[in-house]
Amino acid sequence: MPLLRLTSGAFGQLRTFATSPALGKRVKTFAVYRWNPDEPDKKPFTQNYEVDLDDCAPMVLDALLKIKNEIDPTLTFRRSCREGVCGSCAMNIDGVNTLACISHIDQNLSKPSKIYPLPHMYVVKDLVPDLTNFYRQYQSIEPWLQRDKEPVKGKETQLLQDVEDRAKLDGLYECVLCACCSTSCPSYWWNGDKYLGPAVLMQAYRWIIDSRDEATAKRLSKLKDTYSVYRCHTIMNCTRTCPKGLNPGRAIAQIKTLLSGIVKKQAPILDPAGLEKQSAAN
Amino acid sequence: MAFSMFARSSVCTNRLFFQQAMRLATQPALAQRTAAALSVKSLALKEGKTPILDSVRSFRTSPVRLSDEKSHDHSKLWVIEKAVSAALVPLIPLGLLMPNKLFDSLLAILITAHSFWGLEAIAVDYVRASVVGPLLPKLAIALVYLLSFATLGGLFYIITHDVGICNSIRQLWAVRSQQKA
Repeated sequence: MPLLRLTSGAFGQLRTFATSPALGKRVKTFAVYRWNPDEPDKKPFTQNYEVDLDDCAPMVLDALLKIKNEIDPTLTFRRSCREGVCGSCAMNIDGVNTLACISHIDQNLSKPSKIYPLPHMYVVKDLVPDLTNFYRQYQSIEPWLQRDKEPVKGKETQLLQDVEDRAKLDGLYECVLCACCSTSCPSYWWNGDKYLGPAVLMQAYRWIIDSRDEATAKRLSKLKDTYSVYRCHTIMNCTRTCPKGLNPGRAIAQIKTLLSGIVKKQAPILDPAGLEKQSAAN
Repeated sequence: MAFSMFARSSVCTNRLFFQQAMRLATQPALAQRTAAALSVKSLALKEGKTPILDSVRSFRTSPVRLSDEKSHDHSKLWVIEKAVSAALVPLIPLGLLMPNKLFDSLLAILITAHSFWGLEAIAVDYVRASVVGPLLPKLAIALVYLLSFATLGGLFYIITHDVGICNSIRQLWAVRSQQKA
């Protein structure tokens, strides 16, 4: 046993040698936005935390968790999946809206890493923004499949979709609604109450071009006012910042061309109700 | 409760709210009301139950539910805006190559329209009622109109009483090259 302890100590030292250059610890400063709703008189401020990078996993979320676990349990932020599929930990890291769980800690020790909540949003606490408006806007586009004839319960049949039609949804359905794009959009900053924002518009487009959806005309007519879509000035911050590498700017442009009537939604290659008709015929 | 919160918010000052209120007030409209309007109504009811902090903020998702009205259709205007921008690309060099009154008049109208939409967007984006109060946004839009009419008038004055827009620009270029020489 003592021998084992000795060897583990030796390995520990080896690890230290391998990871820390000459001076020892690699300490990175994180400047984190703090605001506590329970102290409304106190203005928001940034608090500095020092984290030894050799003793921390590589992502910004890991550093935040380390700070919360070991330094300051009052630090508040959202996180869930820690692998970029839930969209909870969206925040502004070094000036860029991104997911903390999939962005690497900047290894430059001379500069502090600045961590702020998503810009131009109401702050609930620290790094937690109020996404109520965002979710209501998402709700307003009715993000579900709509058919003229809703299936009778117990007699539902599978809807058909050609591979090619399905491919149109690639690059749209992957969105995790983290709100990074919407909150990076100046138009959304200025008119967030009336302009739907890139994330919601991309989802609107996802349902508009779905070959199985029959509410296309209704969906489009809801978007044709001056604000919902047309506040997009193709600034393209949305596409630039998207942590999932999607292109909301393109989706909005497609909505505009569909609204103009110059481009029409293509008829489905496979009749979505094909199976239902077949079973009715038999 | 929900209604009083709604009435207190700045929404009630604008036209959209008035239309929505009229729609809710008139009974026949009930039949025509879309599913969206219904869902929004239930939303508003829920709003009343949320903690005070949320209801004070009173978020608006109004454009979506009100967008079925005709007057707000922006899609045709978008096509015209883009067509004007595209037309300017060949028209400017063409006008400069062959200065005549027809090209000058077309240029005057298209350039004024193009800059009008640009300035209008700036006014709508940056002079918002929620920031500067209800009066200034209207003033800003009025200023944009005034500026655009003045521009159009000025350009046509040059066309009718002077050498024309493209000729003036060519004269400017000529002055420059003479100074250099």
